[in-house]
Amino acid sequence: MILDILLTRYNYVVVALLLPVGAYMMIENRNLVKKVIGMNVFQTGIFLFFITAAYREGASPPLVGDGGAGVTYVSPLPHVLILTAIVVGVSLTAVALALIVRIYAQYGTLDERRLREAYADE
Amino acid sequence: MTPLEAVVLVFVIGCALAAALLRDVLSAIIAFAAYSLGIAVIWVILQAPDVALTEAAVGAGVMTLLLLLTIAKTVRPESDASFEDVRPRSLVVVVAFAAVLLATVPALPAIGAETPVTTGEVTSYYLENAYEETEVGNAVTAVLAAYRGFDTLGEAVVVFSAVVAVLMVLRREVMA
Repeated sequence: MILDILLTRYNYVVVALLLPVGAYMMIENRNLVKKVIGMNVFQTGIFLFFITAAYREGASPPLVGDGGAGVTYVSPLPHVLILTAIVVGVSLTAVALALIVRIYAQYGTLDERRLREAYADE
Repeated sequence: MTPLEAVVLVFVIGCALAAALLRDVLSAIIAFAAYSLGIAVIWVILQAPDVALTEAAVGAGVMTLLLLLTIAKTVRPESDASFEDVRPRSLVVVVAFAAVLLATVPALPAIGAETPVTTGEVTSYYLENAYEETEVGNAVTAVLAAYRGFDTLGEAVVVFSAVVAVLMVLRREVMA
C-alpha cells in the first residue's frame, strides 16, 4: 500500500518533503541569506506539484506546431503559471537580498538574534 | 519510476537538506545551486522544456549570482561547526507539517494519469486551437504571450517594481 503510493506518486512525496525543509530553513536558520534560500526551496516544492500535475504518461512537450494527429501533449497551462512564478520568485529574492545588504550596512550583522538585540537596544 | 527519476529526486532532497543544515552560507548557496540544477533536470523528465530552461538560467544562474553578490557585500559569519544545531522545538513543527502533507498524497491521482488538469476543457482548447489562432508552434509560448497576455504584463510590472525597489534600497551603496 505505502510502497504502491511511493511508486506511483513519488513526486508528490518529494513535494511533501521539500516544503517542510523550506519551512524549516525559514523558521530555524539564523542567517537571513539562508532564510531566503529556504523561501526558494519552498517555492520550487510548489512548482514541482504543479508541473507533476501537468504531466501525462507518454505525452510530448506541448509543441503543437509540428505535431500530427493522435499525439498526446502535457498540459501547457501549469507550465505557463510556473514560468511566471519563477520570474516573480527571482524578483522577490532580488528585493529580499537588497534589503539584506541594507540591513548589513545598518547593523553589521545578518544573524537574526543579534539583529533582535540591536533592534531592542535602539 | 525510472532509475533516472529516482536518482534525481534523491539528489534534489539531499541538496535541499545540505542547504538547510550546512552552517557556512557559501556552502549552502552552492548546495542550492546544485538543487536548482537537479530541479531543472526534473522539469525535462516531466516534459516541461520551457520551465527547465527558465529554471536553469534563472534559478541556477541568476539566483546563485544574486546570492553570491550578497555574501560578497556582507560577511560570511565565522563558523566553528560545519552543521547547524537542530532544535527539537522547530523540528516537531516541521515534522508535523510533513505528516499533514504526506497524509494528502494518497488522495492525489497517480503521476501521468488522465486528470482534469491534463484532459480538461481549458487544456484541450489550448492544445487544439493554439496553433491556428496564434500561429505559435509552442503552446506554452502561445498561452503565455497571447491567451494570458495580461498575466505576463502583470509579471513585467512585478519585475519593474522589483528593479525600482532594489535601486531605491541600495541607492547609497551602489550609486555612491
